[in-house]
Amino acid sequence: MVAIRSLTTILTYAIGLCGMIPLFPWLTAMPRTILLVGVISGVWQDRSGRWPLRPWMQNVVIVPVFFFYAMQFSSANPIQPVISVLAIMLAVRLSGEKTVRYSLQIYVLSMFCLASSSLFDLSPVFLLYLGVLLFVVSLALVLLTFQKQDQAIAVTLPDLKKILAFGLLMPLLSVPLLLFFFPIMPRTQLPLWHFLNPQTATTSGYSDTVEPGNKSSITVSGALVFRAEMPQQGQSQPYWRGTVFNRTDGIKWTRIAQVPVERPVITIKPVSQVIYPEPTAIRTLIALDRPTAIALQRVKRSPDGVFELIGSAGKRLSYTADSLSSGVIAQRNQLDSQFYLQLPERLPARIKALAETIVRTADDDRTRVKQLENYFRNGGYRYSTKDLPTGDSAMEQFIFDKKQGHCEFFASSFALLLRAVGVPCRVVGGYLGGEYNQLGGYYLVTEDRAHVWVEAYINGGGWTRIDPSSFATNAGDVWKAPEVNTLKLNIRQAFDSFNHAWNRLVITYDFEQQIKIAADVGSRLQGINATKILRSSVPYFAVMLLVAALFFAVRRTSFFYPRERRILNRFLRTVELKFGVSAGDKGLFEIAAATDNEDVLEFVGIYARAVYHDCSLTDNEYKCLQQILQLLKG
Amino acid sequence: MSRTPQRHVFTNVFETLSRDYLQGKEEVLRLSVIALLVGGHILVEDLPGLGKTTVALALAAVTGLSFGRVQCTSDLLPSDITGLSIFNREEGHFSFQPGPIFNNIVLLDEVNRAMPRTQSAMLEAMEERRVTIEGITYPLPDPFMVIATQNPSDQSGTFLLPESQLDRFLICTGIGYPAEHLEREIIAGGGIRERVGSIEALVYSAEILAARDEVKAVYLSDKVLSYIHNLVLATRSHDLIQNGLSTRAAINIAQAAKAAAFLDGRDYVAPDDVKGIAVPVCAHRLVMRNDMATVERGGVIRTIIAGIALPLA
Repeated sequence: MVAIRSLTTILTYAIGLCGMIPLFPWLTAMPRTILLVGVISGVWQDRSGRWPLRPWMQNVVIVPVFFFYAMQFSSANPIQPVISVLAIMLAVRLSGEKTVRYSLQIYVLSMFCLASSSLFDLSPVFLLYLGVLLFVVSLALVLLTFQKQDQAIAVTLPDLKKILAFGLLMPLLSVPLLLFFFPIMPRTQLPLWHFLNPQTATTSGYSDTVEPGNKSSITVSGALVFRAEMPQQGQSQPYWRGTVFNRTDGIKWTRIAQVPVERPVITIKPVSQVIYPEPTAIRTLIALDRPTAIALQRVKRSPDGVFELIGSAGKRLSYTADSLSSGVIAQRNQLDSQFYLQLPERLPARIKALAETIVRTADDDRTRVKQLENYFRNGGYRYSTKDLPTGDSAMEQFIFDKKQGHCEFFASSFALLLRAVGVPCRVVGGYLGGEYNQLGGYYLVTEDRAHVWVEAYINGGGWTRIDPSSFATNAGDVWKAPEVNTLKLNIRQAFDSFNHAWNRLVITYDFEQQIKIAADVGSRLQGINATKILRSSVPYFAVMLLVAALFFAVRRTSFFYPRERRILNRFLRTVELKFGVSAGDKGLFEIAAATDNEDVLEFVGIYARAVYHDCSLTDNEYKCLQQILQLLKG
Repeated sequence: MSRTPQRHVFTNVFETLSRDYLQGKEEVLRLSVIALLVGGHILVEDLPGLGKTTVALALAAVTGLSFGRVQCTSDLLPSDITGLSIFNREEGHFSFQPGPIFNNIVLLDEVNRAMPRTQSAMLEAMEERRVTIEGITYPLPDPFMVIATQNPSDQSGTFLLPESQLDRFLICTGIGYPAEHLEREIIAGGGIRERVGSIEALVYSAEILAARDEVKAVYLSDKVLSYIHNLVLATRSHDLIQNGLSTRAAINIAQAAKAAAFLDGRDYVAPDDVKGIAVPVCAHRLVMRNDMATVERGGVIRTIIAGIALPLA
């Protein structure tokens, strides 16, 4: 015997967790604490079987909480108070006795909590929680109806199995409906609240200025930036081009959008890739360095290989880009080199002196670049994200004193020196490397891979990619951390490719695609071809047959009534309709006597003989009974 | 469907009696036939003058069985029923003179007038189906059936049967007043006591014994068995009832239901059969709580039955 009450209690906690866990990361400290305390005290009380917290005490507790958050509510902060109240109410209910009434309240609150978590995040995990919640809630509802009848009700294991099977059947039946509604219902592509109100705390490796000296240390998150579907690129780490900085004041590098015309010579086959960026407020489109074309509407293309969205950013999108990955791009036209030689008005004396030494010893671009590179390689520079030079003279400090910094220091100081020795150059911001997911066939690039490097225009060669960070003495350690192909990595990659598929198939499925599908269906309907339809419908019929076979197989089991029960129900309905004799607590022969009808008596005779001999109806008898039923109905 | 001669015979008996001789007494007749088929005894509890004795006589006549009658009074001795040994002067030894109980059908009229001592001797004979007198055991004839009558209204100078004795009766029923038109006919035609003598036997003891075997072979499905068991369990946990039904009662329900199914021409028991015999088989065995003694026990059984789901599938 299994006590229904203990089952519903467990299910209620499961439901509570399904609502809590997805919302938990978005809550502030207080509701988080209250949730934890609520769950723990609830479990403790349920285990001890005593509930010293009376419902009225809980209700009294909720009122001030409600007022507290109601006062915080404003148009600028509409969401946090609401979800905090929701979470606290859930916690309070979980901490109390799980009566039928409060259990139902917990279910509703949990659903609200889960729903509100989708304001912050639309990951496939949401679907998981939703699925679990649907199944568990429908199960729990079935069990609760039992509990409502009798608090102490207990059922045998076989009965319980039957109840559970029925409970699970309900959400299963709704799955086809779900699949039907999925393509036609309106949807959002973004976690509405979270995206429109980005958290200020985000740390981003990518920014629209390069100002290395403004922080003494940086922290970077491993948040996903984009995925790029493409074949794996050799052994070296790919460079992903974002934006280009072409102006410097000696402290920071910025961008001027009006840049001289460039006409690259395309000598190698461009690499094609599909980029799936995570939604962001930044409009720059990222692609493998160096992109020549990005197939997307409303994109502004600059001659220096920078692509920007026009209009509102933030939609989840995807685009195809073609890139020349060689790292050296020749130019057909003569470059306006003066534009890329701009220097701050006051260059520090030590930098000037260094530049002059190099200019004196080397007279063409290539050797100057080489000399500078040697200067960096032999200067004992270290790559570091801590203990960084700061202030207005950060660059000078980096080059001559501290000799440690991150890629921004390397790139911006190198570029400054290049310009000082008369080589046109610019600073390129983007990402370096990425984890290649063999399963999904894409690179996954995270925020901590943000990188800055330099492009120098070498006379006779063209734009050449130089990565000054690789000159650091510890560059090998930092940039070539080899990933071991462990199981953990495989699992993570498998999960990520599922995530990617979810984004591609579910999240980016939008109104345009709905229209497209409708149009497709329309055009297909116009070109109807009978044999083609027949041929193409074979798999559907096969699937339907399979489903039917499954149905009949399942019908034999206890999920459904046996056919005896079904024909009896039909019989009882018919008799009630025709003779006005309802079954009530009558036996079959009493019913037959009450109707005083030969056919009814015959039905009862055949039926009862089988049933009260503990036999099932033979096919003949069944047919016979059906005929009698037809007669009775007719 | 079992269309055996035996069952036909019994239907015929039942129909002949109720049509030609005992109009309006179908229920008590049917129950008597059931008792006969099971080999149980029947207690008819009703006012005088409603035909209790006539039913017994008619049943004896139509079955061609021997009939004995005991009119119980307060000075009736056990030996008046069982018989006694009398000294035979010529042969010089005691010879046993069997009493009226050595008949196939015995009518114990107004059984509650007999002394408890006599009652218990008689009921013991009913249960054991044999009589032991002075160390010698005499078996009673087979088939053997007692039809006892009892007048519930006349309580002075009577000894009500105790519960333990009541349990020995398979069936306890009333007769009730006949329907209006039937009673008018009976008044017009006079009693049938005289005509009872002219009833021809339609069935013989060998046939009765064969029919009993068939009744035993009637199929009792698990569903109906559970139904009976649920009924018994429900009486044991009922608020108004002090002692519920005994296991003997449960066995009797099953037997009577089988006989009812047999009479209805079936070789299996339907829940309807159980419902049909539940009140006459069960009601008299219930021991009500002290303050509830006046509650009508048949009604209690009916409410209990209404609360148990019939096994329909």
